[in-house]
Amino acid sequence: MAESVRVYYQEELEQLEASALGGLDMVSTALDRTLEAIEQTDIELAQIVVADDDRIDGRYLEVHQSLITLLATQSPVATDLRLISALLHVLKNIERMGDQCVNVCKLIPLTGNEPPADEEMVKRILTMGRQTRTLIAQAKRAFSERDVELARDLVRQDDVVDNLNRECFHLALAIGDDADKREWAMTMLLAARAIERIGDNAVDIGEQVAFVVTGLFREFEDASHPAQ
Amino acid sequence: MAHDDRARTGRDTREEAAARAGIAVRPEEFRHQRDSGRRERVFELKGVDVLYSGVTAVKGVSMDIHHKDVTALIGPSGCGKSTLLRCFNRMNDLIPGAEVRGEILYHGEDLYGPAVDPVQARKLIGMVFQKPNPFPKSIYDNVAFGPRILGRKDGLDETVEKALRGAALWDEVKDRLKDNAFGLSGGQQQRLCIARCIAVQPDTILMDEPCSALDPISTGKIEDLMIELKERFSIVIVTHNMQQAARVSDRTAFLMVELDADEQNRWGRLVEYDETEKIFTNPGDKRTEDYVSGKVG
Repeated sequence: MAESVRVYYQEELEQLEASALGGLDMVSTALDRTLEAIEQTDIELAQIVVADDDRIDGRYLEVHQSLITLLATQSPVATDLRLISALLHVLKNIERMGDQCVNVCKLIPLTGNEPPADEEMVKRILTMGRQTRTLIAQAKRAFSERDVELARDLVRQDDVVDNLNRECFHLALAIGDDADKREWAMTMLLAARAIERIGDNAVDIGEQVAFVVTGLFREFEDASHPAQ
Repeated sequence: MAHDDRARTGRDTREEAAARAGIAVRPEEFRHQRDSGRRERVFELKGVDVLYSGVTAVKGVSMDIHHKDVTALIGPSGCGKSTLLRCFNRMNDLIPGAEVRGEILYHGEDLYGPAVDPVQARKLIGMVFQKPNPFPKSIYDNVAFGPRILGRKDGLDETVEKALRGAALWDEVKDRLKDNAFGLSGGQQQRLCIARCIAVQPDTILMDEPCSALDPISTGKIEDLMIELKERFSIVIVTHNMQQAARVSDRTAFLMVELDADEQNRWGRLVEYDETEKIFTNPGDKRTEDYVSGKVG
């Protein structure tokens, strides 16, 4: 029983995993540009992020189709089956992350050309973005290394993002009665919320790591049962 | 022999992995375990060794076969699947020099006890072979053969029809029952052999690679038939086709070849035995994982 067989199938599966996880690098790039566009109120850069999302969608379609073909032709079972199931989920997470970057970038023209109404809020959103970028990298590493502990740690890292999001909310509430400022604050809150969702998607990828390793799917945090 | 050499179920490994990840296992995730342990057992194997002329072919197999389950035996060539299968109805008795050690209980009785007549046992535990082997007789006479031998001549037509219907063959042969069975296709011949087997009203059917000589359509018919037959019979099937095991069986046993330190002697060993769903989604033993994934040959 020592002889290795189905070498090409294994290579293809490995390549598809690398390709799917490579989508996370694309999201990181999109997020970097998104943060820069927020910081500089750079509408052109924001438009590039929107246009470039087609590449992330293309990666989704390409890997998704290849995984379906692999399911149809190779009858994967056991760990391979769990890996493919997880990759299908992860692809969806990646596609959603890319869309959230697009959502943020579409908001940037709405914030106007005036200086930010609240520098503190921008600072927090940028900090959220950098923290979320760390989450994306950690999710990728956890998946590649099948490291459940590292995956679970994403929840702790995501709490930082969630707290910053709440702070943004309170800053928006305190911004005063000026209609323009309030509109700016509401728009920026939507951006903060979109970045916060990117963090949640990174945690979801971590949950898939645990599924691949243990065969058990479990939400690390259940919104409907927050105490658990 | 004690049960401590029973093949690991893999359950511990899964729970250990979950515990390491800080994940509590929920009952619904062990749906496949819902009634194991409580099911009626047709066979209980305890430390079974099979030897041919003193040479061990299968070593230390302990497992239970449950009533009205399809149980699949899988593993690479030479791992002892067919040898083990033949133990279930004492077919190994027909091979000179074959010896079965350990204990095999059939409905709680020692199958190899001195009071057991192997011929009587084989009436209750029928067998279907790799290659369809109808007798050179008519379709009708093939099915009627067993009941006639047993003296069950009353209502023979009904018995034959019932058996042919049970084997999903009646509609295809009802107008040519007197034709020679060799005129049937390979798939039909195999279903005829299944009809011949169930005509004597066994409670267990052993199948040794029953589809290996059949095309995919005929294979599909036999597989559908197995799912129907398990309503009435317990089935043990040896198959090289892992997807077939995954499709039709409730429980799967994986055997592999084990070598001694000198690599001079080899024998079959039960590595893992569990619900089929578990074997094909999350096996507990790395060797099972490698085999069912086709990573090693």
